[in-house]
Amino acid sequence: MQRRVAITGLGLVSPFGGDLADFFSRLMAGESAIRHLLTDDLPRPLSIPFVSCPAFDPEATLGKPLASMMDRFAQLGMAAAFAAWDDCGLPRAAADGSARDGWGVAWGTALGGTLAYEKGYRELWQKGRERLSPLAVILGMNNAANAHISIQLGLGGVSMSHTVACASSAIAIGEAFRRVRSGEATIMVTGGSDVPQAYGVARAWEALRVMAPGDAETSPFACRPFAGNRRGLVLGEGGAALVLEDWDHAVARGARIHGEIVGYGTSCDHTHLVRPEAAGQIRALNATLADAGLTADDIDHINAHGTATAEGDPVEVAALKAVFGKRAAHLPVSATKSMHGHLLGAAGAIEAIATVLALREQAVPPTANLGGQVDPACLGVDHVIEGRHKLSLRAALSNSFAFGGSNAVLAFRAVS
Amino acid sequence: MDSITLIRDFLKDRLGVEAEKIVPEAALADLGVDSLMMLELMFEFEDHFGIKLSPDLKPPQTVGEMTAQMDQLVSQQKG
Repeated sequence: MQRRVAITGLGLVSPFGGDLADFFSRLMAGESAIRHLLTDDLPRPLSIPFVSCPAFDPEATLGKPLASMMDRFAQLGMAAAFAAWDDCGLPRAAADGSARDGWGVAWGTALGGTLAYEKGYRELWQKGRERLSPLAVILGMNNAANAHISIQLGLGGVSMSHTVACASSAIAIGEAFRRVRSGEATIMVTGGSDVPQAYGVARAWEALRVMAPGDAETSPFACRPFAGNRRGLVLGEGGAALVLEDWDHAVARGARIHGEIVGYGTSCDHTHLVRPEAAGQIRALNATLADAGLTADDIDHINAHGTATAEGDPVEVAALKAVFGKRAAHLPVSATKSMHGHLLGAAGAIEAIATVLALREQAVPPTANLGGQVDPACLGVDHVIEGRHKLSLRAALSNSFAFGGSNAVLAFRAVS
Repeated sequence: MDSITLIRDFLKDRLGVEAEKIVPEAALADLGVDSLMMLELMFEFEDHFGIKLSPDLKPPQTVGEMTAQMDQLVSQQKG
């Protein structure tokens, strides 16, 4: 028998520096966390619009001994997981450790510990050193975040990482959802974290010619999904986490339920590494609706993948129009990346949180920077230009479409 | 820098351990030095004193054992 899956914990390291309520209220106001990143300690200055978490102090949040054993991507992930766990109302240390033997972690990261690797490479190549720190491997490994989360929360079930580019944490959440729905796990901590500001990583993304330009003045408005004047995506660092829990277990312990996760579908375009195909996205959208037992008429909001690339945005709108038909024109669509940036392996998780909060608060955040200038190629859905309040939202989808052609869609339902 | 100062600086930086707790009879495990941290600490000694530690080296149990072991290796390899 399939179980219902409650979302009982939400946590993130907010690029705005505040808590969940602050994060959502800033999204509703269309406020951008994107700033100009200008480095001066690299071989050549890096000058890009970027989203960072300047208020995040790893040592203050995690303690010095724990923080020193982690690359920044794991620090952000651990901090988000702690926040989600505290939010779910369970103690960090189990009174009876055996109770958590079947509880697990599914985590997303596109990059892993690239800052640690880059530091090591500099030691070897620039300084000519023969050896690396003994911690180099455990700092850099892609499963470092989920391993630390399992250790810190005493979770003895599955602990796995998913690396699927921009869909990493959406897939992690979906796989965690399936574990709880099947009864294999009672609780799963899931989400994602990434840190794309390693010099080599940022330069590699620049070379793809998909990054929006911007300076100190224009960076906050650099990411313009679906707009006629969009120039590309804006990368960011971050960590976001959810606690998924067997519904009956959550009710029995009196947990606060933020929302319900009801469906998950995936597909692969199987055509091109970076050029998206509507057909693949349509398969993922339809698979999710079928998995959730919902129809297109049941969906009241879409948190779009919406990266603001020239090719990606029209294809996503075409996929939505194909799946939702006439309803598409009345379907509120928001691309919150316009405000919190593209967090790569954390993107699906931070957007899942934005979607759950939209359902919980019955309010839809806007796509920032879109007023009056929607690209004609992106017309056909109800683009949310300004935040909308006091709605009647029943269910919503969150899209994540990755380089490599991997697509993942999550379905959430409001708690009545 | 001598051996005890290196250990004090390392443990202060990595684990936030106060210098007065790092005395010769203190067990390294009690100060928070696990097997990974021990590797890092040995790496610091190799780096700072320019010595090579054998992979077979028996990990010291106390601060005093470590300083004696390292001082002896420095004396043998650099003396």
